[in-house]
Amino acid sequence: MSLMAYLAFATLLFGVGLYGLLQRRSLVAMLISLELMLAAVSVNVVALTTLTGSNGSLGQVVALVLVGVAAAETAIGLSLFVAIHRASHSIDVETLSELKG
Amino acid sequence: MNWAGAIFGASAAVALVGAVGAVGLKSIFHNILGFALAMLGVAGVFLSLGSDFLAVVFVLVYVGAVAIAMVYAVMLSYPLDQPPRPRNRWKIAGAALFAAVGAAGIWLVVRGAPWPPANGRPDLSAASAGTRFLRDYVLAFELISVLLVVAVMGAVMVARRTRAPGEGR
Repeated sequence: MSLMAYLAFATLLFGVGLYGLLQRRSLVAMLISLELMLAAVSVNVVALTTLTGSNGSLGQVVALVLVGVAAAETAIGLSLFVAIHRASHSIDVETLSELKG
Repeated sequence: MNWAGAIFGASAAVALVGAVGAVGLKSIFHNILGFALAMLGVAGVFLSLGSDFLAVVFVLVYVGAVAIAMVYAVMLSYPLDQPPRPRNRWKIAGAALFAAVGAAGIWLVVRGAPWPPANGRPDLSAASAGTRFLRDYVLAFELISVLLVVAVMGAVMVARRTRAPGEGR
């Protein structure tokens, strides 16, 4: 497949994730959108290093590091959601306005 | 149309359908199912790039671990019985507009960039990834290990039920 097909796919996936991050109000749904955007970045990195230039197997290493960071982020995020829910009985971002000045 | 192209087309379609479901459906549980489907599709895209190992890692980590953890978090926190409140239409339109403009901007940059052509297919086996991690990028490897340990311990500390004041250890 051509490089442009991969880049177009990653751009679409990133756009869908960006829309979800802006539009959803549930914290879990926002985290899902963030993971979609990170996956789009991984696809971009692997496709670009594989299908252009030299040093091709480096993209796999970068994508694996990205997977590790995303897993850590998910663990912290989900535990924070549980703690927030315990404190305020909601994970709707529009009701979490205690710190609003 | 060769095999890689067929695999790419099918998995990209699956991934985009899953992503739209993960973002657009009302029920948070359906969102998580759509997310798992999208990650299966992304794993297929990696397969079409020739990286079998990365495809397996994506299925294991995202479908097997992250989606399950999200189901647990929803089970522990989300009020599934409450109907969602009505949404301001202008905010949805604004989010769609911003995402469309952002994606179009990315696409313009990507399309205009002069990508050099590939010189041969690189070695994307698990063995080459392991060699790179334990030879050239051993610091990144160790840092990821430390990050994951700290993240899991921090998650346990944050999510643990806090004791009321005066309650003993």
